[in-house]
Amino acid sequence: TMLPLLLLLLPAAHGVVQLGYTPALTRDPVLGGQTTASTFVLDQPRCIFNNYGNADIWLVVALDGATSNFSNTARPGTPETAFQGFPDPVRAYMTLNATLANYPCPKPAGEITVLRVGSQTSCAQDVTRPTCNGPLPSPGPYRVKFLALEGSVPVAETGWSKPIKLREAESPDTISTTGGGHSAGMIAITTILSILFAILLAGLVAMLVFWSSDSCSGSSTFSKPESVTVRRYNTHHVYDQPAARL
Amino acid sequence: MAKNDDCVHILQGLLVFGNVVIGMCGIALTAECIYFVSDPHDLNPLLKATVNSDIYAAAWIGIFVGLALFALSILGIIGVIKASRTLLLVYIILMLITFAFEMASCITAATHQDSLTPELFLKQMLERYQKSEPANNSDNEVTKTWDELMLQNHCCGILGPSDWQKYTSAFRHMHSDADYPWPRMCCVLDAQGLPINLDGCKLGVPGYYNSNGCYDAISGPVNTHAWGVAWFGFAILCWTFCVLLATMFYWSRIEY
Repeated sequence: TMLPLLLLLLPAAHGVVQLGYTPALTRDPVLGGQTTASTFVLDQPRCIFNNYGNADIWLVVALDGATSNFSNTARPGTPETAFQGFPDPVRAYMTLNATLANYPCPKPAGEITVLRVGSQTSCAQDVTRPTCNGPLPSPGPYRVKFLALEGSVPVAETGWSKPIKLREAESPDTISTTGGGHSAGMIAITTILSILFAILLAGLVAMLVFWSSDSCSGSSTFSKPESVTVRRYNTHHVYDQPAARL
Repeated sequence: MAKNDDCVHILQGLLVFGNVVIGMCGIALTAECIYFVSDPHDLNPLLKATVNSDIYAAAWIGIFVGLALFALSILGIIGVIKASRTLLLVYIILMLITFAFEMASCITAATHQDSLTPELFLKQMLERYQKSEPANNSDNEVTKTWDELMLQNHCCGILGPSDWQKYTSAFRHMHSDADYPWPRMCCVLDAQGLPINLDGCKLGVPGYYNSNGCYDAISGPVNTHAWGVAWFGFAILCWTFCVLLATMFYWSRIEY
């Protein structure tokens, strides 16, 4: 009885259509938060699932090494695919449930159509919400794919994305603040000013030596400006006149 | 003799002119240092929080040196016109002391200017911004200063919002990465102080968050002032050097 059952299941398994699309991080527009320490941003799968208007499109997020172990028959909303169990023991979880109506085709120009994985913090610890889009617990790397389920039967899937690595934050203690060095300007100022000051001191010393030795006034000295008084000269001519009268 | 008198008068004229320039530069130096110390850009808490705030010490020295230069230049003019050896000797010695102080101020300003690297401010911001239990009042001041800085200059972090991603911080201990990839102040805010598009800000969509760093806004005013103190002081000192050398020559030629 097992053999016919297996034979029945095999066509269903082969019935999952491999779509040629690979999920990727959003490159256009350039986003500052494309990857953060616990979130990353994917392009929405627009115009990919056109033939599956009745399906639920799920995002599967898996650890890099767990992609081969993931089975498309996994059901979302169960403890085996619950976000709260990720990454241990759950190696891949399913989240971001959507339908084709959420991803209209073609994409309107000028709109930013992205999926932010890890944005729901409110339900991250809530086991009653296993499909929570919670923040990722470690830097990864992770791989994602989209899976279309009709009821609980997988009908189409995209390929696995390239490994996505999140940002790792370092401690601020690693920032070295002592490497300022000395700029050329500061060295120039110090050197030149020291030389100038040394010359002035030498000049002062020479001056004082010059003064104390009190020698060689030099030929080109000049005198202090003295107050010049005009003295009146009385010539003999003036004094002789009264004598002549006598 | 006539030629000698002419030389004397030219030398006296040059010295008087030199001293007038020194006097005016002294006033200008005082004014510039007062402007720097009064801190119109409200960056004082950030600079005080850094360990090396000796740029303010250099500016204070600059104020007094400027006034001293002005007073000494007047003394110098009187001494040159009267050709008095004692006055000029006093002038030269006091000028040398002022020269030494101004030299110290310039070198301090230049050295500590070099120490205000982006890394210094980055470390301070990461360690103190929005610290949950502020150890002292200066942490609150740092947070307030940063908030105002980011609000008024439309900037985020030191080199950019990625500073908050690259390093852990006191802010990161308080707020989760998914909800707050960077502080709310980095978002473009409306008139009520709320982000115009919170999701856009969290995603990092250009136009909804400030993507440039604040280092230029900080370093611009500090650099201008510090280099002003350092290089203007250096220029004054070079001019003073020439005037002092000429004064020494003049002094040695006065007949006692």
